Order: sequence, then structure tokens, then C-alpha cells
Amino acid sequence: MAEAAESPGDPGTATPRPLFAGLSDISISQDIPVEGEITIPMRSRIREFDSSTLNESVQNTIMRDLKAVGKKFMHVLYPRKSNTLLRDWDLWGPLILCVTLALMLQRGSVDSEKDGGPQFAEVFVIVWFGAVTITLNSKLLGGNISFFQSLCVLGYCILPLTVAMLVCRLVLLTEPGPINFMVRLFVVIVMFAWSIVASTAFLADSQPPNRKALAVYPVFLFYFVISWMILTFTPQ
Amino acid sequence: MHADVNCGQQWRCPQRARGRGTLPSPAPARAAEPTSPARDCALGPARPAPTGDRSGGRTEGLRFRPHRASSRSCPPGIPALPQREALVDDTEDVSLDFGNEEELAFRKAKIRHPVATFFHLFFRVSATITYVGCDWFSRSFVGCFVTVLLLLSFDFWSVKNVTGRLLVGLRWWNQIDEDGKSHWIFEARKVSPNTVAATEAEARVFWLGLIICPMIWIVFFFSSLFSLKLKWLALVIAGISLQAANLYGYVLCKMGGESDISKVTASFLSQTVLQTACPRDFQKPGLEGLEIHKY
Repeated sequence: MAEAAESPGDPGTATPRPLFAGLSDISISQDIPVEGEITIPMRSRIREFDSSTLNESVQNTIMRDLKAVGKKFMHVLYPRKSNTLLRDWDLWGPLILCVTLALMLQRGSVDSEKDGGPQFAEVFVIVWFGAVTITLNSKLLGGNISFFQSLCVLGYCILPLTVAMLVCRLVLLTEPGPINFMVRLFVVIVMFAWSIVASTAFLADSQPPNRKALAVYPVFLFYFVISWMILTFTPQ
Repeated sequence: MHADVNCGQQWRCPQRARGRGTLPSPAPARAAEPTSPARDCALGPARPAPTGDRSGGRTEGLRFRPHRASSRSCPPGIPALPQREALVDDTEDVSLDFGNEEELAFRKAKIRHPVATFFHLFFRVSATITYVGCDWFSRSFVGCFVTVLLLLSFDFWSVKNVTGRLLVGLRWWNQIDEDGKSHWIFEARKVSPNTVAATEAEARVFWLGLIICPMIWIVFFFSSLFSLKLKWLALVIAGISLQAANLYGYVLCKMGGESDISKVTASFLSQTVLQTACPRDFQKPGLEGLEIHKY
């Protein structure tokens, strides 16, 4: 039986006693199961990252991803060498740009039978297979960039060319002529150069120095083909 | 704190944190309190104060309750109540967590995340339906292509980032460290008393949706290949790769450390086959014994 030395319920005793002070006097006569929870206040850094995104709300996830996409678009517009940007790759930007470019490069009316189907799929195939080929080439040359990172960079750097396509379509609404063509040529050349600069700012660093030209040359070809498609586009 | 509850003079009220644990409690001399016998003896109404305390709001975060004696310490002549009722009283007395009723309802529900379950299936099924029915919806190849592609992308994103972690607690992602090396990380949430495990209905919906849809797209691949509608091939290949990537990622999460996939599939198949054949044999042993510890 337990010895209850002092009575805690007695309001008369005004002396404050430390908590659990009397429990040391207790002896237990029967087995009472004890259960409880222990929370460890310190966590390793990896665990912290996990739990912070494991239980976040859906809205947070969406906003986080949208911000990441927006940041990458900004980086393409103002290319600057940044290692941290490349670490979080995502393929949303390339998808959006590819779809936009392919939509703008269609010819023919929307409701006819031959409604630009082959050209639409053609743009898709060129962009995605071109990017995959360049990535394989750069990996075979010994670059230390990962597959999806490279796809991400190449896809995002199509942004200037998409802008060029938009401008060309607007220019083509005016009357055709040599001036029309010169304007379009100028715009396409400027945007092409911009794409090359933006992508080499990210990709060239991953290559050993004597192989930089070998790695950059397929990128040059890739953007050249896309610029050619843009320049020679004429709506029927 | 002690002054809030009238425990009676001879009793040392044990403190109980979070309502889940039991600290060793003193067994006071019963004979000294003839007017308030032990609660789990059959004289119900004469209960000591802490029970009545329940309606009057909560103390700072601790609950006090009198000693819960076993049946043999009831005064002679008074039969003891069965153990379960006493336990029910105990848990009622010490419900500390605010919103406990919602949590109980949450735990008991068969589908805890109805919106996530809906969206898990919605994008996949609508992508499939749009692909199949595109000839009826509109004659435009481009519109149909873009719609199906967008639906497939949204499906990939939502299954990877949202429904996997909500429905079954699995997650996979790619991380690139400072050296530029990429690591694929697969993780499964551990089931602890803090977190709830996935319900069976949700897990079933998740895995069936994950497995059946890529198979449907493989059928589409062959049908478009052999009927020579090659312009759809790019779309079908995109669909297969996106959905197969999710399936592969989650299978790897589920497998955890086991690297031998044939063993895992064999055990999974045998479990499901035997379970549907004789479900009663597969109830966890000792389940009745576990009921006592339900909170």
C-alpha cells in the first residue's frame, strides 16, 4: 500500500511544493502498464525537409512549384550563372513552351480534315527528340549534368524563340514584302543568339574545358532548326 | 493545480499527460472513504469529484482522476463492474485532445481524403475518355492532342505530389546534390500513433488506378500502331511514359529496401489471392486483445 505522506488537496498548506515530489515515496503493489510517447526534439536535417513537405497543404505545393517555374523563366530572360537554379529542375516550362510554339506553327484552318496535324506533332517530335539527343551527346562527352537537368535547361531556353514566333506572327499580319522579311529575320537572329547564350551559360560549365565546343555545337544546331521553322513559316 | 480538483484528502491524484499514459497510482486505503467507493464498483452515482469535473471545462492540460482500482479492492458486498465499463469511464474522463470527436470520425472513415481520391482518378480517366472519344467531341486533332497532353501532365503532377502522400503516405523525388549527381529518393511514411495509416479503401483505389491506366495506354499504343494512325503515336507514347514513371516510382517506394522485385510480386500476389479466397484467416491475430488499447 502506498504511503501518502502529505495531502496535496489541502488548501491550507501554502508552501509551494515541487511537482511530483511525493511520488518518490510511492511503492507499487501491482503491475500497471505504463505507456507514453517520447518526442525527440532534435531532428536531422534530412528529416526536417521530409516532414515539411510531407504534410504541407496542396495549395502550398502548387504555389511552390509555380514560383519555381516563374523563377526559371526569369533566369532565361536575364541569364546569369547560377548553380542552385539548376538543382530543382522541372519540365513544366518546356511543356508549356513546346505546346505554345507548336500551336503557333500550325498552318491551315482549324476545322478542316488536314488541319495541321502532322506539323503539330512534327514540332513536338523535333523539340523533344532534339533535346534528348543533345543530352545524350553531352553525357557521352563526359559532362556531369544529369539527364533531366539538361532537358530542363534546353526546354526553358526555347522561350526567346517562342517570343520571336509571336512577333513574327504579328508582323505577318501586315502586308508582305522585303521589309517584312527583314524585320522577321532580324528578330529571329537576335532571339536565336539569346537562346544560345542562355543555354550555354548553364550547360558549358558542366563540360571539361577542351570539350566545350563539342557540347555547344549540337545546341547551336537545335536552335537553328527551330529558328528556321519559325522564319519560314507562312500562314495559308 | 492540485487545488482545482477535489481529489479527497487521502488520495494522491496521479497526473496523466495527453490521456494516453498511466502513471503508477497509489492505492489508498479504501476503508477510509466509505462514502465514495471505487468507481468501478457497482455503486455508480457516488463518484468522486473529478468525474463531475468533466462538464465544467478543462484544467490547464492535465486531468486528474482517482485511483482506478481493480475489482478486488471493491468493498465487500458490492459487485465490481466489468472491466470494459471502467475503461470507458477512464477514457471519457481523460479526453484531453480538443476536437477528439473529429479525430475519431476521421480515423473511422473509410475514405479520409475524398477530394484527393477523386482527383487521383479524375485526370487519368478523363484523359483516357478524351483520347477515345476525340472523334466525337471535335474534329480537331490539335485540340484533342493538347487537351489529352495537359490532362496527362496534370495527372502526373497530382499523383506524384499530392495523392501519393495523402492516400498511401509514399513519396518519391529527385534530388541533385552539390556535386551535380542526381539521387532518386523514395520514401514511405512510417505508421506511428501520431499519424494514421492508409485505409484499405484508399489504398485499393490508389493502386488500382495506378496499375490499370498504363495498361490501357499500352493497348492504345498497339491499336494506333496497327491501325496506322501514326499521328497519335507521339501522344500515346507520352501517356505511357508519364503513367509508367509514376507506377515505377511508387512501386519502388513501396518495396522499400527490398531489391528483389520477383519476391515482392510473388508475395503480393499470394497475399491478394489468398485473402480474397479466405478472408477470415487473415485477420490479424490478437485483434480482440488490441481493442483495449483503442483511444
